[in-house]
Parts: sequence; structure tokens; C-alpha cells
Amino acid sequence: MSHPLTYRRAFLRVAAGTAATLIALPAWAADPAAQLILDTSAEVVELMKTKTGIDRQNGFQRILETKFDLPYMGQMALGKYWDGTTPEQRVRFLKATATAEARAYAERFGQYGGQSVTVNKVSPRANGVFEVDSQINQPNGGEPVKLRWEVQNRGSGLRITDVKVEGVSMVMTRRSDFSAYIQRNGGNAQALIQELEARAGR
Amino acid sequence: MVEGILRSVAGFRRSVVLVAAMAALAGGCATNDTKDQEVWDPLETPNRFVFAINRTVDVIAIRPLTVFYRDWMPEPGQKGVHNALENLQTPVTAINEVVQGAPKRAANSMARFLVNSTIGVAGLFDVASSLGLPKTREDAGKTIGMYAGVPPENGGPYLVLPLAGPSNFRDGAGLLADYAVDPFRILTYALNVDWIAYSGPRLAATVVDARSRTLFALDDLEKNSVDYYAALRSAYTQQRADLIREKRERTDSRSELNRRDNLALVH
Repeated sequence: MSHPLTYRRAFLRVAAGTAATLIALPAWAADPAAQLILDTSAEVVELMKTKTGIDRQNGFQRILETKFDLPYMGQMALGKYWDGTTPEQRVRFLKATATAEARAYAERFGQYGGQSVTVNKVSPRANGVFEVDSQINQPNGGEPVKLRWEVQNRGSGLRITDVKVEGVSMVMTRRSDFSAYIQRNGGNAQALIQELEARAGR
Repeated sequence: MVEGILRSVAGFRRSVVLVAAMAALAGGCATNDTKDQEVWDPLETPNRFVFAINRTVDVIAIRPLTVFYRDWMPEPGQKGVHNALENLQTPVTAINEVVQGAPKRAANSMARFLVNSTIGVAGLFDVASSLGLPKTREDAGKTIGMYAGVPPENGGPYLVLPLAGPSNFRDGAGLLADYAVDPFRILTYALNVDWIAYSGPRLAATVVDARSRTLFALDDLEKNSVDYYAALRSAYTQQRADLIREKRERTDSRSELNRRDNLALVH
């Protein structure tokens, strides 16, 4: 009776092993912040290999909701305009941005081309943020892409709060983008939220 | 020959020198608020105008040409063009490395240049990298940024240059400085080489090569932003700041880390 179980265990172990060779640097495996990045990367790679189209977008949405602190990132992206929004506007804003990000990620990566992610260094900051340095390795010997993640625990466990690709922060870029749009369209978040919702519906 | 070089340097227009001086000044004393993390852009209206023109030129000419180049030029050919252009730029990198106080890296760059120009067939093949001479890429904008006592996000007023696109006073001045010290430019000027034989093709190839490398990222940024101008302004500023910060961290890591703690995305 125990045979199927052990088989399954063995299978799981092999599966975990292949995942680990794909995305791993065991020295940091013990660090929870590094582990979060490794887990997230593994999920993304798995998603890229197996899903396309709307399934992929939904998959990204789920990863964003479970691994990222989206409310915090949304608040940061809206910057000083966050304070002027109603609770109802906040809900709409966060929903629209989550959809937009999921779609952007789903379209950003085409076919999975054998890329892997390695974690190089975790630096805890005094303000409770863990900076995780990692890189995407290109299979054809191209230049690796530099990725820096910001990870922090703001009440819902360790979550990713920002990604910097080659030094370009996703949150900071969104913030500049949003604030310029708001400044040129009435000075409050209403027009922005409508625009984001219109884009999400498209 | 020396006379030719002097002539070419002096032949630089006065307005150009003025811009460089202004940029050096701006880079030195501007006090930009790092708290808000917004890019300093006092010339936003003219910048948006140039940005609109650049986009038009891009849509009707540069982008189609680049897509054609990307789809029809075989990979090794594209790589060769890129390598050759990088090779032409290597002396400028070496000069910057000297100014940055990195003589070993400058020597490495000169060795790369010699190897790739000869064994690498005029730079078409990057033989030096496989010989253990790693590629580096420096420009005067980074050099100024390294020495300027301001946060690397502050490159003076943001600028959109015709054709070249996003820049700022620091990087614009760097572009002029690099142009001024480029041995190939000085040499071809001194020897009266027709622009159609050297400068023109090099510029055209640089534009197409650079654009082909930014196609994906810029399409992505444009599609996923509500104000493309502002998103690109932010992304450009952050990326340049990151490169400069990397340079500074070699010398002064601790103060830099403390500084970043103070402004890490919290307001």
C-alpha cells in the first residue's frame, strides 16, 4: 500500500530537483527572502512553459496576488495622490493595475527560451527591506539581465514590493508615469483610474 | 597632423562649449529634491515637442528600417556590426577609464582594441572577450556623474535630444566630450575624410544598431504606460543612475547604502 506514496514522493523529489537545477544557488536557499524569489521565478518559468494566452495572464495574476504586495505597490505607485482617493477609488485602482500588470507580464515573455534565474546576494536594509540581487541568464550566452528585488514583510508575510530591471524600478517608473498623467488630466486620480479601467477592458 | 587635431578641436562651435560649461555647472550645483524622486525637467514643454518629432521620425523611418534590419540581416551580421561599432568606441571608453582613475581597465580596453582591430578583423569579431579581456563600456556622462557630488539621479535638467532621444545636461555634455576626444573623429577630420566615407555610415549604423537593441523594451514601455514621455524619462534617469552608482560603489559603498536607506521608496 505504501508503494504509490513512495513513488509519488520520489517523483516529487525528482521534480523538485530539476526545478532546483534550473533555478538555484543553494548557498541562499536558507534565506527566506531569497527563497521567495526562487519560488516566484520557478512559478514564472513553469507558467511560461505550460500556459499561453488568457491562461498565462491568469497565472501571472495569481502569482502577483500571492507573491507581491500589490496594495502597497499600488499605494507607492500613486504616491502623493493616494491620500486624495476614496476607498472605492482605491479598490478600482488596485484592480485595474493588477489586471494591467498581469497582462503586461503575460505579453512580455513570448516563448520560454531556456532562461534561468540565479540569486546572487541578499542585503537586509535598516528599514526592514531585503534587497535580493539576482540575474536572468540567457541560454545563448547573451549578457545576463540584472534583476534586483525588494522584499519586505508588511503584515501579510514576506512579499515582493518592487522589481528593478537593470536599475529601473517598476514602482518608481509607474509612479512617474501616473503622476505625469494625473498632472496633465485634472490633477486627481479619477481620470487615471478611468483610463486604466478602459485599458483593462480592452 | 597635430595641427589638424588642434584645428578640429578649435573648430568646435562656441555654442557647443557653452552648453558643455552650462552642463558642468548644472551638474555641480543643482539641488534636486530626492524625496519626491521626480526627474528635474524644467524644459518639459520643448522636450515634449522634440519627443513628438523624434517619435514621428521613428515611426515613419527609423523603426521600419530597424525592423527590416532585425528581420533580414542574419544574426552573425548584426553581431558583427555591433562589435565593430563597439570597437570604434573602445578608445573613448579607455580615455574615460583613465579619467575615472582606472588605468588597469583602460589598459584592458586598449588591449581589447588592438586585438579586435587586428585578429578580430576591424572589430567584427570580439576575439578579446574569449581571450579573457572583458568588455567594458564607459562614457563621459558616467565619468561626470561619478565625480559630481550629487545623487546620480540628478543629471541636471532632463533633455530630449533630436534623434538621440532621452538625455540630460550631464549626459549631453558627456556626449559632446566623447565626440571631442574620439580619436577616430579627430583623425578623419585631420585627414579630411569625406563624411560619406566614415561619419555618415557610422552614425547610421549606430542609430540602427542602438534602435534594434531597444525595440523590445521601448515597445513594452510605450504599451504599458499612460504617459510614455514620463515613463521613459523616469526609466532613462534610473538606468543611468544605476550605472553611475555602480561606478561609485567601488570606492564608497557604505555611505551609498546609508543614503539609499534614507530614500528607499518611503515618503
